[in-house]
Amino acid sequence: MRWPLGNRTKDAGSKPKSWRRFVVLFFAAFVEVLAAAYVFILLVDPYDIIPFSLPLDRRIVSISFSFMYPQVVRSRRFDSYIIGTSTSRLIDPEILNGPFQARFTNLAMNSMLAWEQKTMVDYFQRHVGPPKVLIVGIDLVWCAPDADTHRHNPVGWPDWIYDDNPWNDYLYLLNSATFEIAVRLVGFQLGLYRERIRFDGYEEFTPPEQTYDVARARQLIWDHRPRATPPDLPPPPLSETERQALSFPALRWLDEILTQMPATTRKVLVYMPVHVATQPWPGTREAAVEADCKARIADIARKTGSKVIDWRISSPLTREDANYWDRLHYRLPIAQKIARELPPAVLEDRQSADGSYRLTVR
Amino acid sequence: MLFQSQAYVLVFLPIAVACYYAAAGSERLRHGVLIAASLFFYGWWDARFIPLLIGQITASWLFALWHERARTNVPLVLGVAVNLAALGTFKYLDFLLASAEAVTGLALPRAHLVLPIGISFFSFQLISYLVDRMRGQAPIYPFRPFALFVLVFPHLIAGPIVRHNELVPQFALDPRRAGLAERIGIGLVIFTVGFAKKVLLADRLAEIVDPLFSQANGGSLSFGDAWTAVLGFSFQLFLDFSAYTEMAIGTALMFGLVLPENFRRPYLSTDLREFWRRWHISLSNFLRDYLYIPLGGSRAGPLRYVAATMVTMGLCGLWHGAGWTFVAWGLWHGIGLVTCRFWQRLGRPLPAIAGWAVTMLFVLVGWVLFRASGFAVAGSILSSLVGVSGFGGKIQHVALLIAASLTSVLVPSAHEMKDRLLKPIPALAVGAAILAAICVLEVGKGAPLTFIYFQF
Repeated sequence: MRWPLGNRTKDAGSKPKSWRRFVVLFFAAFVEVLAAAYVFILLVDPYDIIPFSLPLDRRIVSISFSFMYPQVVRSRRFDSYIIGTSTSRLIDPEILNGPFQARFTNLAMNSMLAWEQKTMVDYFQRHVGPPKVLIVGIDLVWCAPDADTHRHNPVGWPDWIYDDNPWNDYLYLLNSATFEIAVRLVGFQLGLYRERIRFDGYEEFTPPEQTYDVARARQLIWDHRPRATPPDLPPPPLSETERQALSFPALRWLDEILTQMPATTRKVLVYMPVHVATQPWPGTREAAVEADCKARIADIARKTGSKVIDWRISSPLTREDANYWDRLHYRLPIAQKIARELPPAVLEDRQSADGSYRLTVR
Repeated sequence: MLFQSQAYVLVFLPIAVACYYAAAGSERLRHGVLIAASLFFYGWWDARFIPLLIGQITASWLFALWHERARTNVPLVLGVAVNLAALGTFKYLDFLLASAEAVTGLALPRAHLVLPIGISFFSFQLISYLVDRMRGQAPIYPFRPFALFVLVFPHLIAGPIVRHNELVPQFALDPRRAGLAERIGIGLVIFTVGFAKKVLLADRLAEIVDPLFSQANGGSLSFGDAWTAVLGFSFQLFLDFSAYTEMAIGTALMFGLVLPENFRRPYLSTDLREFWRRWHISLSNFLRDYLYIPLGGSRAGPLRYVAATMVTMGLCGLWHGAGWTFVAWGLWHGIGLVTCRFWQRLGRPLPAIAGWAVTMLFVLVGWVLFRASGFAVAGSILSSLVGVSGFGGKIQHVALLIAASLTSVLVPSAHEMKDRLLKPIPALAVGAAILAAICVLEVGKGAPLTFIYFQF
C-alpha cells in the first residue's frame, strides 16, 4: 500500500496546494449543487407544503398520488370524496357532483392499503372537516388478515406529509424524485408540460378503448384458472371456532372512520365489481371467509348509518369478459355506468335493473 | 447506517470527520472519537448486538493477554473457539439443525436468531489475530487500538478484511500528517465512485434481478429472462460489493487510514485463478493464509492440493451463507481452480479471449448457485440459460447491462485510482462533486437498499 504508515510519497508531498484546492473545489461544488437543488425544490414546492414557496398554479403533474393528493385535500375545493384502490379510480367525480349536489374528488390510489385509506380520511377530516359524502370503494384490502402488520406498500408512503408536523417535511424533500416533479411543475407554468391528471384526482388510467382486445383480456382474466361460469353455490358454513379464528384487523379502522363521521355525512360503502374469475370461487372456504368479512362490514354499516352497495357479486357484469381489461379493472363504459347508477342507489335505494349490484345495507 | 444514505453523507460523516480532526492532537481523544463514531454507526442498525461485538473483541484481547503471560497456546485456541462459537451460533445453528433434520428425519427446533450484521467479518479478523499470535506474528496491542482494528466503522460491516498489522500501526499516526489534503481529496473521489456505482447501477440492477429470481422460484424463466437475471446479478453483485469497498476505502482515507484493496476488475480475468486474485482479495488472502496453506497448499503433492483447495473453497462458500447452495458454489469454484491449475501445467494456454469467455461462463454458472434460493431453482435457471425451455424472450434492459458491464471492466480499482490515476485536476473535483450530489438526491427518494454482502 502506498502512504505506508504516513510517510508521504513524493507525489503526495509535491502538490499539497493543488490538493487543498481540489478539496475546497469539491466541497464548494457539492454544497452549491445540493443547495441550489434544495432551494429550487422549496420555492417550487410541488407538494404545496412550504409556507414561503412561490405562488404558482400547482397541478397534479405526477402520479405519485400519495405525495400529490394532500394538496388536493388542503385546497378545500372539494367537500366529498371517494377513497379506495385502483378499482375505484375510474369513478368520475364530475358524474357524481350533480346528483349528490357535492364537489367530489377521487382520492383512490393504486393498491392503496386500508391503513393508507384511513390515513387519508383522517387527513381530510383534519384539514377540511367531515365530508358531505364519503364513498369508500371496498376491496379485499379491508379483509386482509395482515392489514395491521402490512400497513404500507413497499413503494413507501410519505407519513411525513400526513402528520401535523410541518418541520419534518424539510428532511424529505431533498431528492431527485421531488426535484423532477418540481421541474415538471415549472414546465407546466411555462406551457411545456401538461397536468398529469385532473386536479379532482380523476384519470382514465386504462388504455384507450379503441385498443381493447377481448382475446388479450381473456388471457389476463383466466391466466390462473380454467375459464368457467361460477356455479350458484352458497358459501360453505364455517364453524364457530373457525369464525372466531378469522381476523380482519382493518375493519376496526373502518368502524372508526365511519363512527367519527357526523350524521350529516352521507356514508357509502361500495364493493367494486371485480371479475368473477378473481372473486372467491363459490363453494370454497375463501368464499365463506369473504362472506364473513362482508357480514361484519354490513354490521359496521348498520351501526354507523352507512349504506352498502355490492357490485362484487356474480352478475351479468362481472361474468362478462368483455367488460374487463384484466381480472380487477373494468372498462371505461362500465365505470361510467357505475358512476351513473351509484347516486340513485344511494339517494333513492334504487335496485339494479340488470342485477349488477345489490343494496346490502340501506 | 448505510454509506449511501443522506444521514451518512450529509450528517454522520461530516460530523465524525470534524470531531476526529478536532481531536487529532490527542491520540487518546481521536481514538475515542473513532470508537464512539463506530459504535454509533453499528448501533444504528441494531444496538442489541453492540455487547456481542465488544464482548468478542474484549475476550479475544484478554485471551491474547493470557497467552502472553501463560506462554501456552491454550488461551488462543480458546479465543478462536469463542469467536467460532459466536459465528456458528448466530449464523449456522439453524442451518445445522435443518441439515441434521434432513438427515435424521427428526423434527428439531430452530433458534431463529437474528444475524448480527458484520459478524462474519469481525469474527474472521479476530481469529486472524489469534492465529497470528500462535505463529508468533502478532504482538500484544494496547486495548484501544486493538479494539479500533475491529471496530473502525469504514470496514466494520463488510470489510475489506484487514489484518492487525495492516491497520493497528496506522492508529498511532497523526491524521494531520503531510498529504492530508491529498488523502481527503482522493478519499472523496473514491467514495463518490462507489456511491455512484451503488446508487446509479447496482440498485437499478436489483430492481430487475430480484423479481426475475423471485419468478424463478415459482416456475421456469424464459431464455431471455434467464440471461437477463444472471447477467444482471453478476454485475449487480460486483458493483454492489466493490462499491461498498470503495466507499469504505474512501471513508478511511478521510480519516488518514489506508484499507487494503478488495477488487481489481475481476471480470477481466482470463482464468479462474486470476479471478480469485482479483475478486474479494482480502477474503482470498485470509483463506489462503489461514486455511489453504495450513492444509498443505500446493506444495505437498497433487492429492493434498486438491483436498486443500476443495476444503478451502467449500468453507469459502459456507462463509458466504448458511446454505448448501453456497457450499456448492464454493466447491464449484474449487473444481474450477483445480482444473485451471492442471490445465496450466499442461503448458497449452488458451488464447486470452477464449480463456476469458470460459472463465466468465464458469463464474456466471457459479453466480446462479450463489443467488438461487435452492438447487431446484438453480437447475431451472441453468436449464433456461441453455435453452431447455426454448429460446423465447429477449435480454431486457440492455442499456443498463451495457453500462454495468463497461463500468465493471473500465472503472479502475480503488488502489489503482489512489496510487496512480487520481490527480488534483479542478475539473475532476467539480465533476466528482456533481456526481456525489446527484447520488445524494437519488438516495433521498426512499429507503436505500442494503448491500448484498451485509447478509454475510
